[in-house]
Formats: sequence, structure tokens, C-alpha cells
Amino acid sequence: MVDITPSQRLRDRCAIVGAGASRLGKVPGISSQGLLEEAMKNALDDAGLTTQDVDGLICRGPDEIYTFHQVMGERLGIDANFSTTLTNGGASQVLGVALAAMLIDLGLVSTVLVGFGRNNWSRVHANRDNHMRGSARPQQMEGSEFGPEYGLYGAVAMHGFGARRHMHEYGTTREQFGAISLAFRDHALRNPDAVMKKPLSMQDYLDARLIVDPFGLYDCSLQTDAAGAVVVTSAERAKDLKQRPVLIKGFGSHNNISGWFAGDNMIRTGAVEAGKQAYAMAGVGPDEIDFAQIYDCFTYMVLVQLEDYGFCKKGEGGPFVASGALALDGTLPVNTSGGQLSEAHCEGMLQVVEGVRQLQGIYGPERQVPGAEIGLVSGHGGNTVCESTLILGTA
Amino acid sequence: MAGDYEKALPCPSPDSLPFWEGAKAHRLLIQKCDSCDTHWHPPSTICPGCGSRDFAWIEASGKGRVFSFVTYHRLYHKGWKAEMPYVVAVVELEEGTRILSNIVGIAADEVVCDMAVEVAFDDVTEEVTLPKFRPA
Repeated sequence: MVDITPSQRLRDRCAIVGAGASRLGKVPGISSQGLLEEAMKNALDDAGLTTQDVDGLICRGPDEIYTFHQVMGERLGIDANFSTTLTNGGASQVLGVALAAMLIDLGLVSTVLVGFGRNNWSRVHANRDNHMRGSARPQQMEGSEFGPEYGLYGAVAMHGFGARRHMHEYGTTREQFGAISLAFRDHALRNPDAVMKKPLSMQDYLDARLIVDPFGLYDCSLQTDAAGAVVVTSAERAKDLKQRPVLIKGFGSHNNISGWFAGDNMIRTGAVEAGKQAYAMAGVGPDEIDFAQIYDCFTYMVLVQLEDYGFCKKGEGGPFVASGALALDGTLPVNTSGGQLSEAHCEGMLQVVEGVRQLQGIYGPERQVPGAEIGLVSGHGGNTVCESTLILGTA
Repeated sequence: MAGDYEKALPCPSPDSLPFWEGAKAHRLLIQKCDSCDTHWHPPSTICPGCGSRDFAWIEASGKGRVFSFVTYHRLYHKGWKAEMPYVVAVVELEEGTRILSNIVGIAADEVVCDMAVEVAFDDVTEEVTLPKFRPA
């Protein structure tokens, strides 16, 4: 393949001008669409805009709802110059923001709503029969091959293969994975909207039941009702709007769609290339990142992405996370809302929302990353191989 | 027989049918490219190494190593209840390609990455045989 050189033309050309979330956790009696409407309304209010200002819609919900963006458009009363539903799993949400920036730059749209919503807790608990299936079990594995017949169920095992191989090659330990859970739980305790409210000790982490070894209960992200949304427009237009704009400095995408089992993809992820693109577009490197919101479906994915984004060397993710680096007062505060492990699981959308809020500087000292000017947000997903990256900054 | 088997069974596609027919005859079949000699699995009709569509099904040696594995402690499907905890592994075959399977004939907590394994055919029903792997 030809080496690519990302253009720097889009650096700082677009901005996120509003961010919002729905109620999180157990929100009985609401659909995925209803949750997303709640988040979108909050994001538009944050921006001082209405649905009538929106001419682009990029969103995702439950994968079984056909053309989800059309379902949402009808409910919102929006005719869009551009709308679509992305299918890169947890990488879709960050990619949606990047796609919005490209469309705005091309002049095809002016204002794009990007969001994700799913009533994960409700859909599993509304019906006991569904409980065994679990939300993590990909529907496409039903009636398939090279998976279910060997008892392979759930994203937890796919990510577990990566964790196990990383432990084997680099001596990474469960205690190091635990340090990630503990750091994010501490952040969640500072976030009144976070689902998890109790402190977590290393002993709690190690004593918790194993789910799919090497992952125990606290290595796994939450099952929650949750939605998040942001409003993207041009940096020029952002100047006239209500919020301090959060500039899109750079973005990247790389999908190792040759598969999680191919080469060393499970211990060297798409974040390597996606990060290179984003850094090049933004004109910054890992040393200039003040905080990161890293996609945390499972603890291991945080550790390996931190390596792949260059915050530490390959193989040194374990010692890095155990050093206390991820704490709010650490060298690289990570998942400052509690992340998907302790705030709520929203397929990465709430990590975009949190990145924006940190750069809007809206928090009190208990939650604010002091002097935050540049943050990195990652999205990871699909069948464990898709990665998208955003670098955001203050104006 | 088939009525007693509670686990999921594979649903072959036209592309993977030779693999499952081979398994039934206790032969581990993978594809080999006529142009670049790449071996591959799971089945497709184009070489992931060079893009050629000329290939042959060959019998793999059945020997390999555990590239990675996980151990299920939570039951996701009732058919596995009697075997908890069970091991699902990514096995790297001698020919270079990797295959998802179970590690059998060893306690779950004794499986390690890179350990040598060999194929062990499990006739789970009269119609279906699953290639699994045991310590070599």
C-alpha cells in the first residue's frame, strides 16, 4: 500500500459547539430513540440551536433497526443534506464527528448532529428470556460458524484473546488491568451522573468473579441505558454561537479488517495508524495531549490503545497504567467521567461528550483537568478491529 | 444423537462446505493459494495474501500452537454447562494460518500461550464433526 500523508487543511476548520447526554443507567420506559432525542435536545440546547438549524444527521442506535438515521430524522422532523448510520461499532461515534467535519469542509452541510443511543439495560432486563443472551453477544453470530459451535460468545472473549496474548508477550498482569478500573472508578465518584457510586479497591477487583478469564467483572464495561450527542459546525460559524467552541484539530481512522486473529492485530491495534493520522493533521504529538478519553469496552483495550497512541512504549502499558498516570492529577488523565467501565456504556459517544466538556472548561476543580487545551478521544469497535481518533482543542 | 446435542452447530456456507466435509472425514482442510502459497482459514474464494482466486483445498498437518485463549467462567449458552470452565483458543497451525477452536484433554488452568497442540476430531453428532485441539 502507498504511504499516505494526511492533509492539514482541516485542522481547526470545524468545531463542536454543543454536547449533551441522556439520563444514564436504568431508565425504564424509554426507547433507544427516546434516549437519543433526550441527548440531542441537550446538545442543541448547549449550542443554543434547534432541530431547525440542523442539516446533517449522523447517528447510530440498535443495530437491528434498519436505516436508523431515517427513523431519527422522521422523529426530529429534519430533512438533511446528508445523513447516514455508520456500522463501525464502537468506532462509529468518533468517526461520525470526523465525517461531519469533512462534510462541513466540503460545503455540503452547515450543522451536523452526531449521536448514539441504546437502551441496553432495559432491552436485556425487560425480558428474562433475553438475559442469557446478553447485550454483548453479536447478533450476527447466531446461526453462524467458526464461533458459537466452539462456545465463543460475546465481545469479552475476542478482547480477552488480545489481553491474554499481551500478558504472554509483555508480562502484563491482572493487577495492571485493575489499576485502570480503579482509576476510572475514582473519576466516576466525582461525576454525579455516573452509574457506579461505590469506591473500588484492588482487593474488590481481584476478588470479583471471573467472566471470561483473563477478564473479571470489573474488566467489563457496564450495561446501561445511555445516549450522547454533539453538534458540529464550521469554526467560523462557531464564533457566533453560545459556547466556547471546541476545535476539531485532527482526526484519523484505521481499521484492521484483515481481522483480529491476523498478524499482531490483537496486540498492535488500528490506533497506531489512526493516531499517526490524527497527530499529523493536528500538528501535535502525544506529549502535547493534556487528557485522553479512551474507548474502554474492556480494561485491556485502554492499556493497548495507550501504547498504540504513543503515550508509552509498546509493551509498557502495564507499568504505565499502574504508575497512577491515568488519575485526574496524573501525567495523562484518562476517562475523566468514569468511562464505560464506571460512568455508562454508550459506545464511545459519552467519551466525545466528556472531551468536549473538559475543553469547554465547565467543571469545578474536583473534575476539571487543570489547564486542559488539547485532548484525544478514541473510538474502537466493530469486530474488535476498527479505530477512530479525534484530537480536540480549545480555540 | 443429534437430538441430545445442546450446543450450537455450525451453519456452513457454500464457501466453507469443504472444510466441514473434510472434518467429517477427520481431515483438517484449509485453502492454499496456487500463486503465492499462502494458506488461509476461514474459507473464502480469494487469497488474502495476493488476491488470486486460484486455490486448492489441502490437508493441514493438524499441528500447531496456542496463539491465545480465554476461559469461560460465565455461562452464555446452557449447552456448555457440564464443561465449565471451558477454553476457547486461537490456534496457529504449522502452515501459518489461525483457527478458532477448543483446547481439550487438559485442565483449563494448565493451558498456556504457545503450547504445542494437535488436532483432535470430535464427532458431536452423526452429521457434524468439530476439529478441536489437544496437547501434542
